[in-house]
Amino acid sequence: MEKNKLVYPFVAIVGQENMKLALILNIINPTLSGVLIRGEKGTAKSTAVRALADILPEIEVFENDPFQLNPEDEFDFYQECMLTIYGKKISSLKSVKRLNRKVRVVELPVGATEDRVVGTLDLEHALKKGEKQIEPGILAAAHRGILYVDEVNLLDDHVVDVLLDSAAMGVNTIEREGVSFSHPARFTLVGTMNPEEGELRPQLLDRFGLCVLIEGTREPEARVAIMERRAAFDEEPAAFCKEWETASKELTKKIEQAITLYPKVIIERQLLFEITSFCLDVGVDGHRGDIIMLKTAKTLAAWNDRQEVVSADIEFSAELVLPHRVRRQPLQEIGENVKNLRENK
Amino acid sequence: MIFKKTYPFSAIIGQEDLKLVLLLNAINPKIGGLLIRGEKGTAKSTAVRALAALLPEIRVVAGCPCFCNPDDQDRMCERCREKKSAHKVQHQKVRVVTLPLNATEDRVAGGIDFSLAIKEGKRSVLPGLLADANRSILYVDEVNLLDDHIVDIILDAAASGENRIEREGISFKHPASFVLIGTMNPEEGDLRPQLLDRFGLCVDVAGEPEIEKRVELIQRRESFDLDFKGFMNRFEEENHQIEKQIATAMESLAGIRCPKHLRAFISELCAKNLVAGHRADLVMEQAVRAYAALQGRFEITTDDIIKIAPFVLAHRTRDAQPPPPSPPPPPPDQSEEKLSDDMNEQDQPDETEKPDDQQKEQPENAANEEAQSSGEQPDEADQTDEPEQPGEKTSPEQIFEVGSTFAVKKIVSPRDRVSRRGSGRRSRTRVSLKQGRYIKSTPGNRNNDIALDATLRAAAPHQLKRKNENGLAVVLKKEDIREKVREKRIGNFLLFAVDASGSMGARGRMAASKGAIMSLLLDAYQKRDKVGMVSFRKNEAFVNLPPTSSVELASKLLAEMPVGGRTPLSAGLVSVHEQVRNYLLRDPSARPIVIIITDGKSNAAMGDQKPIEEAFDFAVKMAADQRVVYIVVDTEEPGLVTFGLAGHLAEALGARYLKIEELKADQLVNIIKEK
Repeated sequence: MEKNKLVYPFVAIVGQENMKLALILNIINPTLSGVLIRGEKGTAKSTAVRALADILPEIEVFENDPFQLNPEDEFDFYQECMLTIYGKKISSLKSVKRLNRKVRVVELPVGATEDRVVGTLDLEHALKKGEKQIEPGILAAAHRGILYVDEVNLLDDHVVDVLLDSAAMGVNTIEREGVSFSHPARFTLVGTMNPEEGELRPQLLDRFGLCVLIEGTREPEARVAIMERRAAFDEEPAAFCKEWETASKELTKKIEQAITLYPKVIIERQLLFEITSFCLDVGVDGHRGDIIMLKTAKTLAAWNDRQEVVSADIEFSAELVLPHRVRRQPLQEIGENVKNLRENK
Repeated sequence: MIFKKTYPFSAIIGQEDLKLVLLLNAINPKIGGLLIRGEKGTAKSTAVRALAALLPEIRVVAGCPCFCNPDDQDRMCERCREKKSAHKVQHQKVRVVTLPLNATEDRVAGGIDFSLAIKEGKRSVLPGLLADANRSILYVDEVNLLDDHIVDIILDAAASGENRIEREGISFKHPASFVLIGTMNPEEGDLRPQLLDRFGLCVDVAGEPEIEKRVELIQRRESFDLDFKGFMNRFEEENHQIEKQIATAMESLAGIRCPKHLRAFISELCAKNLVAGHRADLVMEQAVRAYAALQGRFEITTDDIIKIAPFVLAHRTRDAQPPPPSPPPPPPDQSEEKLSDDMNEQDQPDETEKPDDQQKEQPENAANEEAQSSGEQPDEADQTDEPEQPGEKTSPEQIFEVGSTFAVKKIVSPRDRVSRRGSGRRSRTRVSLKQGRYIKSTPGNRNNDIALDATLRAAAPHQLKRKNENGLAVVLKKEDIREKVREKRIGNFLLFAVDASGSMGARGRMAASKGAIMSLLLDAYQKRDKVGMVSFRKNEAFVNLPPTSSVELASKLLAEMPVGGRTPLSAGLVSVHEQVRNYLLRDPSARPIVIIITDGKSNAAMGDQKPIEEAFDFAVKMAADQRVVYIVVDTEEPGLVTFGLAGHLAEALGARYLKIEELKADQLVNIIKEK
């Protein structure tokens, strides 16, 4: 994202509370592995994701590192990457400059080729110097960040496979045209889609930790507020952003607090049973649902400044975690109300 | 090792079968690999990656890219064999080499070394993943999504135990015996029978049903994510024990023999399950030996065999009857039986002819396959014309059975010069991907897919004149660049538009139509096409199935499709158009094939026009898009009074027109060829 371009502030988005919350939870806990936002056109899906850039926390990176590695525990990769790509030998951790910057939102265009996604040989360099140099792809840029795919259901099958591969392993492996190279690629996958244009493959669906269904709000007041704010932003973006600056900062602070709190959150054993029986009752494939549900419940507790998970957290997390995981009849719509589903079964 | 944070093997809860067969493969590589099938999120990949930490050490020639065995002169790569002096030996762990789905041919098999060629002008081989995986484990996640021509390379190497590189002006071979481990989710499509047979064992995994264990599982996962080091320490001891167990079992393996009477038992088991060829017998013996070794025994028992047999037979057992769709109760007729056998074995023509050659079987080429399927004559295809449903004509809705199916000849879209992207096995096309076979080179650089050999040839005549500034052996300029033209088969999109109005129910026509559609679906399944289905009846059109790769879904829906009500042909056409348009938006270079099955008697309009006129109007508009191939199948009953409306529809669409009597495979499949 360009530095000077102003984005619509996240906090100024009217309504769509579930979507906003799902995004925030993913920032707090990146191991939630992403959000899928399903909804009709013009419901602030993309606006919300782009606006995230503003409220994201900071991380530490090496200076000019195309792979966004973590100086704390990925130094050995850094050494390896620098050696294989640039032929630079780096002997000690101290010799590398580090800096803090915000977590990035990296956008994957629908038309992206496999090359652009995984990375490829820098052809010009190869021909001029006779050396193989790797041009890192989008997956490298997205490490430790957010990978945003607009219209994820329209993505090329090949690219989807690659995404699945890296999302599953946390590693991107390039084995193409004489280049053999791997680098870490753990990212939060955020996808938006309009279900009218086709469904996602179940495998990819499962990779998204959370799923929210959104629709335009029906309340006249909220609709008016949306129009007013949007108009104000379009007229004077700078002033508008300024107006919301304090709220943005507060949100960032709250997120940071939740991040520190998360490891301390505890959950009673009884509630663990609640989670698994919920998953078994509605019928999900595999265990990813259980795992993500636990994480979501804990993250929710941290977000609400609690050190203990309560059963309301679990109920709420079921709404975010299970809709797209429930085994369905072919072509059955993704259900909105998981709770009903459980009671009906 | 890039997978720094690997979940420890001993911490995996449940999945005892999966863990067992993984260990067996680690103990005895002769088992020949493992296929893990299961729903998503069941620790498939986690287990394989965790296994890497437990693998034993082997002696390798130091510095050899193929990790040759210094003690086995016969199975060394050329480089090691040519070396006169004694080999330096080093110890190294058996590794798990990952083959990513997007790997290119040259990285899998090996290719010319780019840097050496340009810098020093040397022609040298850069070995690929198959060399890397020699004497180790080759791991393919989502193996059913792997590109066909890569699969061929792997099959070739797995069958012969060596990899030959004959491409881009180099010729090289090296040993490549590896344990192939693949995971797959059956929802995403199936594997080719040949590849399936290469996997020694197969295990199906599912989620843990017990609540207690599920709770334990999520707790462990969470503590793994939160406190990696502490978690690893917790399970280190157990992991070590398994490691030791493997090492001990490997030592004792050589001393374990399978007694003769148990061999007889094994072959009896295999024969009973109608497995093809003899690989199952051999694999079972190896696996049982490994199992006994793992248990610390030197004797094999019948129980061992019973325990192991399911893993060997899971993917090899053939039903006496072909898998779905099951044909309707056939008359006791021999030709029908033969037909179903053919259906079952379409992809393995060798088997019926010489089943004993199974182990020597090379992956046969596509041409062979074609010859086989085109040789089949669809006899008895329309026999379901007879069963009439008496007295049901008055009921508004009925569901007809699927008529008998037949083998289809090839349907392909015409070859053109457009480069496409995609996967599948139907129409051969040029692809703008770095996948597929390298067929020739062309000047220019559009895909960054440089053909090094051709580029060097193009640059060669100019070398004397060019100034050498960088000290490279070859000076390349932009105009020398040649790009690879690749070709591969990709799937088409077949959209079925089925008229499900009451008039279609007459005299079992629907059953026959369903049979024909089913035959095409079966073919589509093997060719990895996308399929979609639209049906129209009463007052509207239903999108029964949006474009999907899941042909099972399509066949299920087809079987359940009810018939009754009026014929809203125009609504059906609009729906077809929407589906095709959406599909073309997604993939503008696609060439969808639309098969409309109707009698054309439209009697429900969407607007104010007469139903038939409206439908024809739409048809003319739809025909404007040249990218779509239409086929109209007329289901009108032959008789004295016919309307021939479907014929007019075909005309309006610019479609190929067929009567249902001509729907036999021969006629239908040749349509596109003729065009």
